[in-house]
Amino acid sequence: MSALLEVRGLSKRFGGLTAVRELDFEVRVGEILGVIGPNGAGKTTTFNVVAGAYRADAGEIRFAGESIAGLPPHRIAARGVMRTFQHNRPFGGMAAIDNVLVGAHTRFRRRLWSIVLGGAREEETRQRERAQELVQFVGLGEAVAADVTTLSFGQGRMLEIARALAGEPRLILLDEPAAGLTPAECTRLADIIRGIAARGIAVLLIEHDMHFLLALAHRVVVLNFGAKIADGLPDEIRAHPAVMDAYLGSHAAHQ
Amino acid sequence: MQDFLELAVGAAASGCIYGLLALSYLVMIRPTGVINFAVGEWAMIAAFAGFLLLTGAHWSYPLGMAAIVAFMLVLGWATERIAVRPLLDAGAPVLAPILALLGMLVVFRESISLAFGPDPRQVPYPFGFGRLELGPLAGSYQSFFMIGVSALVFGAAWYFFERTVWGKCFEAVALNRRAAALMGINLSRVTALSFAAGSGIAGVAGILIAPNISAHYLMGVPLAIQGFTALVIGGVGRVEGALLGGLLLAFAEQLTVRYAPVPAGYAQGVPLVLLMIFLIVRPTGLLRARA
Amino acid sequence: MKSIALGLGAAIALSALAFLLGDYHNDVYRKLLLWIALALSYNFVFGICGQVTFSHFAFYGIGAYAIVILLFTAAFPLPLAIVCGVALCVALALAVAIPATRLEGFYLALATMAFAQLFIVVLNEGGAITGGTGGLASYRLPPVLGLDLSGRAYTVVIVLVLIGTAAVLRRVDHSWFGRACRAVRDNPEAAAAMGVDVARTKVIAFTLSSVLAGIAGMAYAFVDNTVNPPIFGLENAFLVLFMVIVGGSGRHAGAVVGTVLLYLLPFILSPLIGQHHALVFGVLMVTAILLQPRGLIGLYDRLARR
Repeated sequence: MSALLEVRGLSKRFGGLTAVRELDFEVRVGEILGVIGPNGAGKTTTFNVVAGAYRADAGEIRFAGESIAGLPPHRIAARGVMRTFQHNRPFGGMAAIDNVLVGAHTRFRRRLWSIVLGGAREEETRQRERAQELVQFVGLGEAVAADVTTLSFGQGRMLEIARALAGEPRLILLDEPAAGLTPAECTRLADIIRGIAARGIAVLLIEHDMHFLLALAHRVVVLNFGAKIADGLPDEIRAHPAVMDAYLGSHAAHQ
Repeated sequence: MQDFLELAVGAAASGCIYGLLALSYLVMIRPTGVINFAVGEWAMIAAFAGFLLLTGAHWSYPLGMAAIVAFMLVLGWATERIAVRPLLDAGAPVLAPILALLGMLVVFRESISLAFGPDPRQVPYPFGFGRLELGPLAGSYQSFFMIGVSALVFGAAWYFFERTVWGKCFEAVALNRRAAALMGINLSRVTALSFAAGSGIAGVAGILIAPNISAHYLMGVPLAIQGFTALVIGGVGRVEGALLGGLLLAFAEQLTVRYAPVPAGYAQGVPLVLLMIFLIVRPTGLLRARA
Repeated sequence: MKSIALGLGAAIALSALAFLLGDYHNDVYRKLLLWIALALSYNFVFGICGQVTFSHFAFYGIGAYAIVILLFTAAFPLPLAIVCGVALCVALALAVAIPATRLEGFYLALATMAFAQLFIVVLNEGGAITGGTGGLASYRLPPVLGLDLSGRAYTVVIVLVLIGTAAVLRRVDHSWFGRACRAVRDNPEAAAAMGVDVARTKVIAFTLSSVLAGIAGMAYAFVDNTVNPPIFGLENAFLVLFMVIVGGSGRHAGAVVGTVLLYLLPFILSPLIGQHHALVFGVLMVTAILLQPRGLIGLYDRLARR
């Protein structure tokens, strides 16, 4: 399998603090890559740099062979990289289905002047059908026309995912998707993520919950203090001494 | 050169007024993020209060001024209580109080217009019409009075923010509302205080400028615009920025009227053009907030 | 097909009303129709795209003055004057919006406020070209295609401008662009992550809304056959904002309701408070924001749901 996303030598500093240091990793076509690490390890910073929310201080980020470092988020999305937000960010003034349709923004072809002259109907209908299908896929079928402010936290999370999928991405970035979900919701989330990978979409999954991630990911990268301390298959990581150290180390130090 | 020095005192005086208005915006924006366009109307209300107490009821100037400032403090507190507090408490986005205050702007203006009619009202000069010469600088008593009072207000504001505990609280709230609340700072009190102070400062500006331009129900919006132009030029972060912005604006205006080959009416355009230039080129203003 | 029939029906009904009203009421009616057009276009940039701007009436004025100056001072033929007027609105809107939308927060609002004031200063100081503080008067719309469009016939022109404005806005609103505008309003960061070019969306929404205001302005120029500065100032910019909020921002019906209410209210209230109707507008505005931010339409929805 070839690398869809390649990150080489990534560094990011905030003032005097180095959040990410010389990070190398890649995400291959169709795989679920999990990135874990204790709090403050640099997972979220890495995520945000790849997504275009932050600018890297050093390093290369290539997607499908082309550099995306320094591009603004909307251009990265247009290239086929979509993301979710850890603290759900729905568009409060719209129904759930319309939220999903915003995700499909980059897939609309009609120019604005042609809309004024009246050409939007067909494309709109087609995209709406696609959006309906995605809403069903994440299990929100019954809430499709609902006001998003009435959705539960877990439902809002699923909406985030449906919205990101609407952009027909080749890579989806999931920012701690399991955070705040009930065990039942976590199980459903895992099924959905497997379903996404089965559709050929690569997944970069940041998660703090080791248990959830190790059961789901094809490969795992472990960060601590901004650097990679391990990478490999889940089983290898489970038994890796440096990983144990990182997660339990500070805990042990306090004994 | 002589020409310029003559101009300088008058420009400095105007600059102080713009600076005071900018300061008024600043003390409200910093802790709440709310841009209160009604500061010009507050200045107008103080000017009319001056007309009532000083011209109408013949109060002595110091007593009148003190009473007006006290009234403005209460008005500021009341404005906050009505148009800002309920919205911030309900978690409304910062746009909501900004719009509510825009509504209050119209309410203030029309109330004054209803009460006093459309004609300008005279407010007396505390020191009369005379001119004072301090070495090479010359200006009217009123100009020196404006500069003096403004210096006091700016001095007090600077002292408040740099040296007092309450000032630190304001800064803390300005930097991070949630964190400040978690540290035990009473957000409501800070907000109420900031609006009372904002109103008081705008009121002082109104009283100072009223003798020159007369109290008039339409004087608010131009002052509000000049005030926030001064704020944008100087930078929202620092008290000194408000004064610097005001002075720069005033000098730019006066120099344009005096030396530029355009009709005098275009002087009104100077703050507007400057504002647009600064918004495009340097929106954070000239002085940066302390880190 | 259905919407064309609807538009045609509305055009006929609104035009018919013009022929039923007396001269005085016809004048009020025409101005009301123009205000509704302005509120609909303002609602698009403010209620749907979430951008506070204060230059809406400045563009109304740019359209009005442009057509008068181009037609009578520059002696352009009517179609060219209209096209140039629109082009001028586009150019000025882009000039204001492109730099201002690069910035966060309230900068577009401040820049448009300064622009609006600057426009008035230019009008007042414009000497012979703009007619200064007195403005321009005593001109007449030349015959269009051989027809003399004055009196009731001109009201039909205004009806068409309103229907055209409403139709364009409706189409755009129901498209991906309308959705992008709402996304920018509700959560700009998430919108960007979904591929929406936030700055560009704001610029386009602002330009579209300003051009529609300019076109309404061109129609306005021949209502009283006079244009002067006070109408195009910040006062009315605040007022259209109040109308949209009181009626229900973000909803076309809200803009219509708010405008009709606030425009006709002074006629009902003038025995009580004379010229000071703005006081009532200010109070209504503050009340709406405090108690019913979704406006009258929101209230109607809430009651209808019971």
